[in-house]
Amino acid sequence: MSGELGTFTHSEALTLGVELELQLVSRRDYDLTRGATDLLGTMDYDGRFGEIKLEITESMIEVSTLPQARVAGIASDLRGLRDTLVRHCARNNIAVCGGGTHPFHRWAERRICPGERFDQIYQRYGYLAKQFTVFGQHIHVGCASADDAIWLTQALAEHVPAFIALSAASPFVDGVDTFFQSARLNAVSAFPLSGQCPPLGSWPEFVAHFEFLRDCGIVRSIKDLYWDVRPKPEYGTVEIRVCDTPLDVNTATALAALAQALCRHLLRTRPLLHAERWQHVARYNKFQACRYGMDAMLSDPVRRCQEPLRERVLALFDALAEDAAALDCTSWIDALRASVVDNDGGASWLRGWAAAHGNLNDVVREAAERLAGAGG
Amino acid sequence: MDKLLAFLHLPRRLWEEAGERLSFLPPFPTQVDSLALFALLLVAGLLAGEWLHARLRWPRLIGYVLAGSLLGPSLLGWISADTLAQARPIADAALGLLLLEAGRRLDLRWLASNPALLRGALADVVLSFFFIYFFATAVVGMAPAWAAATAAVTMASAPAVVLLTVEESRAQGQVTERVVLYTALGSAAAFILFAAVLGIVHVELSKGWLNAVAHPLWVVVGGTAIAWLASRIALAIAGRLPKRSLAQVFVLIASALFAVGVARMLAVPVFLTLFLMGALLALRDERQVLTYTALPDAYWLLAIILFVVVGAALPWREFTWIAGLQALGLLGVRALAKLAALYWAGGELAPAKRLLVGIGIQPLSATAVFMAYEVAALYPGVDRSALLLPLFAAAIMELAGPALCRAALVRAGEAEGRRQQTGEIG
Repeated sequence: MSGELGTFTHSEALTLGVELELQLVSRRDYDLTRGATDLLGTMDYDGRFGEIKLEITESMIEVSTLPQARVAGIASDLRGLRDTLVRHCARNNIAVCGGGTHPFHRWAERRICPGERFDQIYQRYGYLAKQFTVFGQHIHVGCASADDAIWLTQALAEHVPAFIALSAASPFVDGVDTFFQSARLNAVSAFPLSGQCPPLGSWPEFVAHFEFLRDCGIVRSIKDLYWDVRPKPEYGTVEIRVCDTPLDVNTATALAALAQALCRHLLRTRPLLHAERWQHVARYNKFQACRYGMDAMLSDPVRRCQEPLRERVLALFDALAEDAAALDCTSWIDALRASVVDNDGGASWLRGWAAAHGNLNDVVREAAERLAGAGG
Repeated sequence: MDKLLAFLHLPRRLWEEAGERLSFLPPFPTQVDSLALFALLLVAGLLAGEWLHARLRWPRLIGYVLAGSLLGPSLLGWISADTLAQARPIADAALGLLLLEAGRRLDLRWLASNPALLRGALADVVLSFFFIYFFATAVVGMAPAWAAATAAVTMASAPAVVLLTVEESRAQGQVTERVVLYTALGSAAAFILFAAVLGIVHVELSKGWLNAVAHPLWVVVGGTAIAWLASRIALAIAGRLPKRSLAQVFVLIASALFAVGVARMLAVPVFLTLFLMGALLALRDERQVLTYTALPDAYWLLAIILFVVVGAALPWREFTWIAGLQALGLLGVRALAKLAALYWAGGELAPAKRLLVGIGIQPLSATAVFMAYEVAALYPGVDRSALLLPLFAAAIMELAGPALCRAALVRAGEAEGRRQQTGEIG
């Protein structure tokens, strides 16, 4: 096995883990504020719900749940992490909120967090590191074997637009409406190793590909691959990385439920993958989902046609009914279905408040209140 | 000597001779026009501030104060006492706007959610007042009334210096936020004590109770009434305008200047009135009408004038080494009080950072000088020597305060360093 990759850690199939990158905002004007290091330094937290750690800039904080077999555990961890964070932030006059971008912060004012890894990223990518002050949800699904992880990485690729559209909550950048439902991924696209995992059929093929990139001087570790979906050998998982951080923890939990049910469905039915064909339309479909959300028109490279994403997603929910029931995920998937039918995703919620208030400071205030809310 | 005087009077003589033939010529101007004076003070302060900042990386405020001191009546005398009086409305407006901003930073919600902050603020106020009071009575030998006046005037941090230093350093973080909060809270306490001190001074000097009771009431009730009225006007008009719009900025500034004008008319201290107005705006703005509306960068222009005027008002001519040492002693015990208060208050911030907050709130400046002159103006005939101690303490801190505040923010890692500004990495 490759030294840098290590061996693929065994984990229970379909176990779940969620990481959320959250915004730290000033309670005075709701702009991003620098506070992550001080916040962590002053926290009195025993890790019972998972980890709270630094991200690339001082205006971000990352929370990650413990590995859980069922989505109810994820819901409980996320609420516990949220409550802990909100309580400690209040003592520092900081609010926390979700969403994929901060609507009006100035990226040049961001400060890179202390730490060797962050400093290396800053030296390597320059201003892109500061522009990377965007906020995503990463969902880890446990895989029983390394080959399963590679297969799932390929199989999940065609469902990337669904995850983007369901989580889209970043319509504003630099104080303007971008017309996108998820503008966050445009910041990620600037990185040279973002995008899709190439069509690989097995773990040895993946290792060979990684070694090729390493020998070419392109990567040093798996963390250098900013793929939409990637295997995570150290956790024994496949990681979906395209979601915006939702505006509340219930939506984040629902997305994790969808990922779990979908992975079970894929592993159970083992559909024929057309990875190379999907590779050709992946960027276009991703753009459509980012730009139009549920109103996107996706290209199907197998049937050589276009179809509305909304129809695809609703059909997917129907197809997952059995798997969702087996995993106690039904209510969470139903909540996502209602959101699709009612067309009330994160981006439209944010736009609605922007229209109501006429300014973006109040939009962030509403978002902070929504994240902190008992229901959220 | 006679030739020199004749030479100096030559322009005036020529002007007057020309005036006999040219009917449109006004009389020879004996005073600088206010706008011209404003421009001259601005340029003098600006040049000194920018030069020191560029060469030595000193805070610009030090340059403004130095320019004022150099040009003022105590040294070169280019800014006369009359000129100072002429520039006072501009200085009042500048101080008013800065104090308005300090009042707006009075965040009681944060105080409620973090008991350590309240402990720190109370300890800061109590220890600073009593340390200075005991130093003034036991070491300097002041009478209790004047010692109390000195303590009231010098105990609080300087909102104008702190806010401008934070802005200049583009600082952001927990140390910065706490420095601003403690400064606002300390100012609030200082203003309450200042009102009480006015009564004490009246008792001391006039032996009558009417002024002793009426004057503090006039100051507090008058200041509160003007502040309440101006803040209501600001919120009522701004509520009909888009948030963060330029129109809202104008409303905020116009309301503040209205409050400054009324306060001057009614002989109520401007700094107190505008601080109260800011605090009322912070506390009563439930719909965030003006919460996000920031003062424009142009108020730096007013700040330059303010600090040039403050520098010129410092009584350097009356400086003696004894007075200087006493002022240093006062600053020493004041610093000790603030550091001890914040260290003792505890809280979640690391002790080293709490001490940095203590250093950050050391500035003592424009407000203290203006408060001292308010007290002095009560009985102009009375010996002003008792006021020299706070004034010299303010004079020393005018130069050291901004540097200390900036050093604390830099040490805390919250100021924008040169590396950040140039985008240099590695």
